[in-house]
Amino acid sequence: MTRPVRFAYADTEASRAEGSLLAYVPITLRHGTHVVTVPGLLDTGSTVNVLPYPLGLQLGLVWEHQPTRVYLTGSLVRLPARGVIVSGQVASFPPVELAFAWTQSTEVPVLLGQVNFFMEFDVCFFRSQAAFEINPKRKAN
Amino acid sequence: MSLTELFPAIKMLPRADKLRLMQFLLIDLAQEEGVPLLAADAEYPIWTPLHAFEAADTLLQMLKTHQAEP
Repeated sequence: MTRPVRFAYADTEASRAEGSLLAYVPITLRHGTHVVTVPGLLDTGSTVNVLPYPLGLQLGLVWEHQPTRVYLTGSLVRLPARGVIVSGQVASFPPVELAFAWTQSTEVPVLLGQVNFFMEFDVCFFRSQAAFEINPKRKAN
Repeated sequence: MSLTELFPAIKMLPRADKLRLMQFLLIDLAQEEGVPLLAADAEYPIWTPLHAFEAADTLLQMLKTHQAEP
């Protein structure tokens, strides 16, 4: 059984102090030989993981080679998206396969959502302490 | 005109005008302190794809297919 890893909330706008703290976790994404470590926003309201367009390119993904169309909501509804699978690693936990909606948006951060980040990791938020803990999901017996 | 002189006039205002006065003061104070406010004519993005269940089903199916591949 692994021990959870604790992370601090990130201060996204120093001038706003407490109001700008967000739960960003460093995550290493791999696709083939391409490896990128980025901050991913733990977004419990997001139904899916979202990958911004430039990051997909950094991971060696080719838009035209992704046949699966994904239809997003919110501000991303206006932009096309494709389904992609990449490997994701948090801290020193074993890497897992993460499915992302790869959007053509260049502004959105990496969103880690219900499908399937929160299906792979147990996350406990301690917002009053500006911290959160992550642990891989427990394997079924 | 002092605040003490203003109070009776404020008290006489109808409820809607009192609320407008409150809003005016809040915006005025926020602007003085440099707090950015939401503008009525601006568009603010909400990136979170809330209730994108079709997308979730599609990605789950992709994962299943991917994991079933030899």
